[in-house]
Amino acid sequence: MNAVLHLAAVSRIHGEGATEVHALRSVTFRAHPGELVAVMGPSGSGKSTLLTLAGGLDVPTSGSVWIEGTDLASLDNAGRARIRRTSVGYVFQDFNLIPALTAAENVALPRELDGEKGRVARRLALTALEEVGIADLADRFPDEMSGGQQQRVAIARAIVGDRRLILADEPTGALDTDTGEEILRLLRARCDAGAAGVMVTHEARHAAWADRVVFLRDGVIVDETGADEPEGLLAGEVGR
Amino acid sequence: MSRTMAGWRPALRIAWRDALRHRGRSILVLVMISLPVLAVSAAAVIIKTAEVSGTEGAERQLGAADARIRTEGRGRVVQGADPSRGEWAQVGETDYGDPVAEADVRTALGVDARLLPIATGWSRARLGDRVIDFQTTGVDLSDPLTEGLFGLEAGRAPEAAGEVVVNDAMLAKGFAVGDELEVNGSPLRIVGSGRDATVRDYPVVLGAFDDLPSDSANVREWLVEAGPVSWSQVLDVNEVGGLVTSRAVLADPPDVASMAEQMGYDTGRDELLAVVTLIIVMALIEVVLLAGPAFAVGARRQARTLALIAASGGTPAQARRVILASGVVLGLVASALGLVLGILAGWALLPLVQLFQGEWFGPFELPWLYLLAIVAFGLVSAFLASLVPAWLASRQDVVAVLAGRRGDRRPRASTPVVGLVLLGVGIAASAYGALTSDSGNGALWIAAAAVVSVLGMILVVPIVVSAVARVSGRWPLTARYAARDAARHRTRTVPAVAAVAATVAGVVALGIGNASDELKNEKTYAPQAQMGTGIVSWGPDLLPGEEAPDSAETWTRIEEAVHAAAPEVEVGTLQGPNDVYDPNGYTSTFVELPRELDGSGWGLSPYGPMITVADTVDELGLDPSIADVADAALAAGRAVVFTTTSDTEAEVTIRQETWTASGTEPESTSSDRVPARLVAWDQQELGPAPASTVLPVSMAEEVGLEVVTTSLRLTGDLDVAAETRIKEGVQGAVDGTYLYVERGYQRPDEALIILLVLGALGGVLMLGGTLTATFLALSDARPDLATLSAVGAAPRTRRRVAAAYALVIGFVGAVLGAAVGFIPGIAISRPLTSMSFVGPGGTAEGPFLAIPWLLVATIVVALPLLTAAVVGLTARSRLPLVARMD
Amino acid sequence: MSIRQAMLAILEQGPMYGYQLRAEFEQRTGETWPLNIGQVYTTLTRLERDGLVEVVVDEVAREVAGHGGVGEPLSSDRTHVSYRATEAGRGEVADWFATPVPRTQPPRDELAIKLAIAVTLPGVDVGSIIQRQRSATMTALQDYTRLKRSGRAATPQDSADLAWSLVLDSLVFDAEAEVRWLDHCEARLRRAAAELSSPTRSTQRDGGVAR
Repeated sequence: MNAVLHLAAVSRIHGEGATEVHALRSVTFRAHPGELVAVMGPSGSGKSTLLTLAGGLDVPTSGSVWIEGTDLASLDNAGRARIRRTSVGYVFQDFNLIPALTAAENVALPRELDGEKGRVARRLALTALEEVGIADLADRFPDEMSGGQQQRVAIARAIVGDRRLILADEPTGALDTDTGEEILRLLRARCDAGAAGVMVTHEARHAAWADRVVFLRDGVIVDETGADEPEGLLAGEVGR
Repeated sequence: MSRTMAGWRPALRIAWRDALRHRGRSILVLVMISLPVLAVSAAAVIIKTAEVSGTEGAERQLGAADARIRTEGRGRVVQGADPSRGEWAQVGETDYGDPVAEADVRTALGVDARLLPIATGWSRARLGDRVIDFQTTGVDLSDPLTEGLFGLEAGRAPEAAGEVVVNDAMLAKGFAVGDELEVNGSPLRIVGSGRDATVRDYPVVLGAFDDLPSDSANVREWLVEAGPVSWSQVLDVNEVGGLVTSRAVLADPPDVASMAEQMGYDTGRDELLAVVTLIIVMALIEVVLLAGPAFAVGARRQARTLALIAASGGTPAQARRVILASGVVLGLVASALGLVLGILAGWALLPLVQLFQGEWFGPFELPWLYLLAIVAFGLVSAFLASLVPAWLASRQDVVAVLAGRRGDRRPRASTPVVGLVLLGVGIAASAYGALTSDSGNGALWIAAAAVVSVLGMILVVPIVVSAVARVSGRWPLTARYAARDAARHRTRTVPAVAAVAATVAGVVALGIGNASDELKNEKTYAPQAQMGTGIVSWGPDLLPGEEAPDSAETWTRIEEAVHAAAPEVEVGTLQGPNDVYDPNGYTSTFVELPRELDGSGWGLSPYGPMITVADTVDELGLDPSIADVADAALAAGRAVVFTTTSDTEAEVTIRQETWTASGTEPESTSSDRVPARLVAWDQQELGPAPASTVLPVSMAEEVGLEVVTTSLRLTGDLDVAAETRIKEGVQGAVDGTYLYVERGYQRPDEALIILLVLGALGGVLMLGGTLTATFLALSDARPDLATLSAVGAAPRTRRRVAAAYALVIGFVGAVLGAAVGFIPGIAISRPLTSMSFVGPGGTAEGPFLAIPWLLVATIVVALPLLTAAVVGLTARSRLPLVARMD
Repeated sequence: MSIRQAMLAILEQGPMYGYQLRAEFEQRTGETWPLNIGQVYTTLTRLERDGLVEVVVDEVAREVAGHGGVGEPLSSDRTHVSYRATEAGRGEVADWFATPVPRTQPPRDELAIKLAIAVTLPGVDVGSIIQRQRSATMTALQDYTRLKRSGRAATPQDSADLAWSLVLDSLVFDAEAEVRWLDHCEARLRRAAAELSSPTRSTQRDGGVAR
């Protein structure tokens, strides 16, 4: 199966000379449809850089980034913006909703930016909000919602218009355990439905929701856990 | 005191650090406040330097004398400290036949007082074709008392009678050292040139007292050497009728107000104070509004700091102080900066300004009191600009802010109500001012009403902004975002919108006043020739004793010049009695209607000569219906007289009076009764008549009129280029010719310049207000823009957001401002145009009201669009990255 | 001893056979700590000896087995004997719930011991031990999470399901704690390595030292 996201030998160097920092060193990474990949690593390991490169918000110093078969290097700024509107959905730790827009308008944002008619964009937004279970909050402003509700809106915005790559940056960081798990469940469900997800986190408990966990150290992938069947003492439960 | 300071110290420290950390915002405030401070302090320096007052002016008037005494006649006078500036009045009877004599002065100042006679006046001299006017000063320049009156730069001082020195302006007129000029019949030789102490750009000739006497026999003037002349001595001289400019009194002036009362002057202090106060208040409002958004953003950024202060036990007053302190810090820096730059600018501009001033400036002067007031203005405006944000910041919900939410309390519902009430008061006061404008204080009322209206409008702005946000639901994304964001950040948006609105209100109000004034001028315009035709007239400039040049020969030269300059223009000749003014003696001719018709003939003021001599009215360019009647009457040997209503035949009287140079009675008169046809001339419909009377040639001969050419009538293609060519042609050929081409009412360049300056100023202020708020909004919106970028906004989205923001602010402000501007605008048009006018163009009824719709449309529609375009094009199109602490 | 008290607590619900008791226990704990039946009976016998449970012989059992002596623990008849908590037993359960689990005696942790030894021995790559362990723990964590989000723990029907999901959570948090401890060990080792080499090569980035 073709990967939705493919980073091929990607390096990213910030700054130059004495202040040169190698954020990523020749990282190769794939995310396939139906797969949720967690990226773990300590601060400064390059997690966030990987995510900004994957979303086309930044360009690699060397190597190439492919999204659904398109090499981002072949696109200009506007082209990468278009990819973000149509193929990639971002979810942030601090939600990053626009306070001046209602929930529905925030969700409709990528579609509207893509030139969709207001009414069509709103209908799509309502569908997405329904999928995350808060269709009844469509006309509230972010100020009038709880953190969990805001993050649901952000996820709805990331999936609106059937985008196949979801990039999440510590999506549960600002939430309590229960609400955080609800959000992870939503992400998981979206991936089970066929999208590819990449989630940056530093919490093992959250990374465990992924099919695959990638460990980053100093800009290098040092290890990776596969998705094997449960084993050992859990066999009984699984067998049932 | 020290306790108060201690309370402020942490606040000032935070403010100072914050100002350094957010350079862009600080610079914005600095510019907004230091620019007006700079401009006003530069103006203050220039004005104070240009103003020659007190002892400074005395040097120029007095030379080295202790006092200068002037009299116009015997009789008590009262005076101020410096009567040379017009501060004096006559009290009771004045005997002009017996002016104050030297003996009278000595009685008051002591017998050993030395008096040096000095005379000032006007004279003229011929230089080739031209006659030059100049000022004269007759005094013995070799006397040490005159030292300082004239600074010799070339040649030498006059040493004998018949020798004079002149200033540079006289040389510029074409005279040179060594030339001779004839003044009042006696030749004077120019022996030197230099600088007159007071007059710079007007010709001055200085020479002996006898060569350049005073204009009037009753005016006498002396430079006095008598030791310091005290105020009581001045009063003594006043008693007999002498005005004294005393060096000692100028150095220590007495109470002016009491003297002013004595002189019966209105000091005009109250009104001046009111006007100055109004101007300062308006300027303050504008500056505060322009700088306000920056403080609002600062307060928003410090919301967390303030919440922490509150959480750790700070009072709301202490929280407020942090924001107020930034006003104090930035206000101080801005004022100081503006002051220093203003003084430098004033100093640098002095030579340039001197070029436009007729009087020599005094020494460089720093009016510390004014400058201090200006600095206070800057400080106060910054403080006021930070007041509202500070107050709002101290009211924020601490818990909400610490939890990371916005802690704004809802605005009070009463605010817009107060605003509407103020607007109502403004309208009422304007109406009152407009209605009572005849009694004098109307303009003041209207100006005060304008300030009240603007204040009311500011309070209404928040609901308007919210309303705009509420209806934005169906707008395109960027516009919707801009409108909602503007409403969310009201503390930042409202002052910006209000600044734009206040500017627009001012421009619209002045624009309406200006347009109405122009309409009045147009309606009451009196044409001086038939539309589209030109008139060439000629009046020789003659000095006493000179012969007037031959009229017929001169007119031939003029006509040739016209043909040479514009061959395609047709030239007709108008003839009439020879009424040319000649200082040696002249004749004047007029026509009197029969007594019983008297009332119907006057009130008809022709633009041309009173009397024209011709056998046909072809050259007058009359309406055919009237021309036929007139021609028939002329053919029948009757005079044609145009009247307001009479349309009949009657006998009129032609009266001629001959005057000599100095006579008070005409030397001879003659009157002849002749048959005439009175023709009614409807001024409303036909415009002014070309002449009041047309005499057939035979009749003119009969009554013995000396008929000469009076003017040339030009018809045909008289565009501006042709007019210029003809004008240059005839003026080059014959001195004293004059061309006038009637083009109807022409808006004077000044009016247009005023409109342009208004427009430019309005545009700059509007752009300033919009740019401030927009870029502050953009920096506030960084996280939002980053989010937009992350969800796939194209880079140009930032520009679109910026443009939409500018559009919302500019448009809302312009519409509000235009609406508010109509109130004082319409009101002020009344006192400007309320009088009724009766002129040759007919009677025009005031008041006039003209709304400059083009200007209003430009400001309300075009300027916001233009501003938005400028903002959109200058905004960076790079979207920020989402920055996350990793 | 927690098995003893846990069995006693389950018995509070009503009399049970040994097999029944084992099933009830495992349903609540998701077979995380499997019990063999011998262990169950040994425990029951001790409880009986201490007077915390008493034997209840039901009608059917009595008819089939005649009378059953208390002193015959391994008789096949015992399987038809059900037990019930006595008054003292109920008191013991109440005490158990009321008393926090003591942490005075740390459980013997093989991983901690392994690392403690490895760090002191030259020539052992502690970093790779940590990484290998982390991957393993992570895989286990993923398994627990998968169980949590599917099966009966994801949508608890009764209190036993809820109990199972809580036990899963306990495992998840344990594993997470282990991963975090491993992260911490790794960071400490890297810092220690950096400090050792700093006198001579102070500019060396700590990233290069660990490997």
